[in-house]
Amino acid sequence: MRSRSVSLRGVGRLLAIVLVGAGFLAPLYWMVTMSFKPQAEWNPIGQTIWFPHHPTLDNFRNILGLTSQNTVFFQANSTDASGPIVHSLIAATGGTLIALFIGVLAAYGIARFRAGGRMLPFQILQLRMFPPVAIIIPLLIMMSYLHLVDTYPGLWLVYGAVTFPFVVWLMRSFFQDLPREIGEAAIVDGCTQWGALFKAILPNVKGGLAATALFVFILNWSDFLIALVLTQQNVVTAPVFLNSLQSAGAGQEYGPQAALGLILILPPAILGLVIQRYLVRGLTFGAIKR
Amino acid sequence: MASVRTEALTKRFGSITALRDVSLEIADGEFFAVLGPPGAGKTTLLRTIIGLETPDGGDVFVDEERITETYPGDRDIAIMFQNLALYPDKTVYGNLAFPLKQARVPRREIRRRIEETAVKLHIERLLERKPAKLSGGERQRVALGRALVREPRAMLLDEPLSALDALLRLEMRSELKRLQRDLGRTLIYVTHDQVEAMTMPDRVAVLREGEVQQVGRPEEIYHRPSSHFVASVIGSPPMNLIPAVVESANGRLRVVHDQFVVEALAPVERLSAGGSCYIGIRPEDVHLSSGEGFAGRVYATEPLGGETVVDVTIGGRIIKLITAGASGLSQDAPVRVTFDASRLHLFDADGTTVLSSAGDGSLLRVKDAGRT
Ligand SMILES: Nc1ncnc2c1ncn2[C@@H]1O[C@H](COP(=O)(O)OP(=O)(O)OP(=O)(O)O)[C@@H](O)[C@H]1O
Ligand SMILES: [Mg+2]
Repeated sequence: MRSRSVSLRGVGRLLAIVLVGAGFLAPLYWMVTMSFKPQAEWNPIGQTIWFPHHPTLDNFRNILGLTSQNTVFFQANSTDASGPIVHSLIAATGGTLIALFIGVLAAYGIARFRAGGRMLPFQILQLRMFPPVAIIIPLLIMMSYLHLVDTYPGLWLVYGAVTFPFVVWLMRSFFQDLPREIGEAAIVDGCTQWGALFKAILPNVKGGLAATALFVFILNWSDFLIALVLTQQNVVTAPVFLNSLQSAGAGQEYGPQAALGLILILPPAILGLVIQRYLVRGLTFGAIKR
Repeated sequence: MASVRTEALTKRFGSITALRDVSLEIADGEFFAVLGPPGAGKTTLLRTIIGLETPDGGDVFVDEERITETYPGDRDIAIMFQNLALYPDKTVYGNLAFPLKQARVPRREIRRRIEETAVKLHIERLLERKPAKLSGGERQRVALGRALVREPRAMLLDEPLSALDALLRLEMRSELKRLQRDLGRTLIYVTHDQVEAMTMPDRVAVLREGEVQQVGRPEEIYHRPSSHFVASVIGSPPMNLIPAVVESANGRLRVVHDQFVVEALAPVERLSAGGSCYIGIRPEDVHLSSGEGFAGRVYATEPLGGETVVDVTIGGRIIKLITAGASGLSQDAPVRVTFDASRLHLFDADGTTVLSSAGDGSLLRVKDAGRT
C-alpha cells in the first residue's frame, strides 16, 4: 500500500518534470529542427512537420553568406548575417570590458575601503531597478549630441553603464570572501595598492571574474532594445538583424532566423566551456565560504 | 636588523580603544613577546608597527628613524599574519619569491635565497605545491619562510603556533627559538599562550585591554608580577588568589584570613588597616605536608603523569597545588598544606602588587589563624 503510493508519487513527479521540461525545451526544439528545414517545410499550411523531411544546411549557408546567390527570394534584403555577428561580437566585448574595468575597481574599493559609504552598493543596484526602455529616448538624444549614435563607442558606453552594477555586486562578494590579509601581505611585501590588486587579489578571484565576465557578456550579447534604438546601419548587431529577417514574399524567414538563433547561442556556450573550470566555484556567487 | 620602538601608541576603533599609550623598546636582535588575552590589542599593535593601521597618536621608530607615516612596503619589516594569508594561487616557491620579486632581486639570487630558507625550515620538498595542498604545520612554515626570505630588519609574528596541535607546537617552539638565535633577527612575537611567553623570548610585554601592564624578562614577570592580572596570565595553573583583610599592627602588617595570618616582618606601604587585599601564591609553592600546616580536604586531583595538580579546600576556598608524581590522594581525603613564605605575593584591592617576596624569606611570615 505504502510502496504503491510512493511509486505513484514518483510517477507523478516524473510526469511533472517531463511536462515542464518539454515546455521549456519546445522552443529550442523548434529552433533546432527549423534551422535544418528547407523553405517548403517552414510553415506549410495545415501541416505540422516535427522533423525535417529533407534536412538541409541551406539556412546556415544563407545566414553565413556562403552562397553567392544568397537571396532565393526576389527582394533586396540579404540574409547574410556574418557582418552583424561580427558587429555583435565587437559591441558586446567592448561593453563587457568597460563594465569589468569600472565594476572591478568599484567593487574592490567598496569591499576593502568602504568607498562611497554604506549606501553606495544599493544606489548602484538601484540603477538596475527601472527598465532601460524608460531612459532609452533621453539616451538617444544624449548620444546624438555626442555624435555617438550608430557607433561602437556609443554602444560600448551604454552597455558598460547598464551592466557594470552586476559586476560591482558579483565582484564585491568575491573580494569580501578573500581574507583581507592577502592584499595586506602583498603590500607589506612591497606592492603598491594597484600591485596588490593585480598581483595578489585578482589571481585569486579568477573564477568569480570569469563567471562575472560571462554573465555580463551574455547580457550585452543578447541586447536588442538598446541596439535597436542607438544604431542604424554602421553598426547592426545580430539580434537587431534577426528581427529584420522577413520579406514581403515569404513573410518571416523562419529557416534563416532559426539558424541565426542557433549560431547566437554559440559564443556564450563556447566561452562557458572554456572557462568552465572557474565557473563552478564562481557561479555559487560567493555563497560558499571557505 | 634593527631596534624597534613605539612611543605612546594609541589606536581607536570607534568607541573601542585597542591600544592606549603603548611604549615599548625592543633591542636589536631581541626576541620580544607580547602576551595578552584575546582582544587585548596584540594584533592591532603589530599592524600599527608595520603600518597597516594608522595610529591615532604616538609614533613608531626603527633604529631611531621615525616611520609612523612610511608606506608598509617601505618599512623593511616582515609580518606573519595570524591567519597566515599565503597567496592561494601561487606555489610555495611563488609565495616565497613574491616579496623578492617586488624588491627586484635577480632571479638567480631569488632561487638561492629560497633554497636556503627552505632548507632552514625543512620545506624543500614542498616548493612546487599550492598552499591548499599543505598541512597546517607546513603552511605555518611557509608563512614563516615568506617573512624570513626577505631578510627584513625586524619580523612580526602573530600567534604563529596557535593553529598547530600540541605536539607540533612543542616542536616548533624550540625550533623557532633556535632559528631566532641563529639569525639574530629582531623578532616581535605575539601570543596568548603563557608557556610560549615563558619559554621562548628574551623579554615579554603583558598587554591588557590595549594597555601595557608589565615588561620584563619572563622569570621577572613570573616572580615579580606587577598586578594579579599579570600573575594570572603567566604560570599554569594560574596563581592562587586568596582574599583577606588588612589588620595593621604596630607599623607592620598582618593580613588576616580565617584560616591563617600573613605577617609582614618590615613596614609595608600602600595598604591601610581595615581594607581588603589579596594573598597570591603559585600552585608550585604550596606543598602537602605530613605534620605542620593548614587543614583542608582534597576537592579533586588532576594527575599529569610526572606531576599532579591537587585542588584542596581550605576554609571554603579552593587552593591549587602541584606535587611531584602521583599524589595517591582520594577525593575528600584530609590533608595539610604549607605555604612557602618566600614565594608569597600581596596585592591591594585593585590588584596592584604591594609586595612580592620573590625568594626572600625575610619579608613575610605565615601563621595559623588559630594560634596567633
Ligand atoms: N578593524 C577593526 N575595527 C573595529 N574594531 C577592531 C578592529 N580591529 C580590532 N578591533 C578591536 O580592537 C580590539 C583589539 O583587537 P586585536 O585584534 O588587536 O586583539 P588581539 O589581542 O589580537 O586578540 P586575539 O588574541 O583574539 O587575536 C578588540 O576589541 C577588537 O574588537
Ligand atoms: Mg590577534
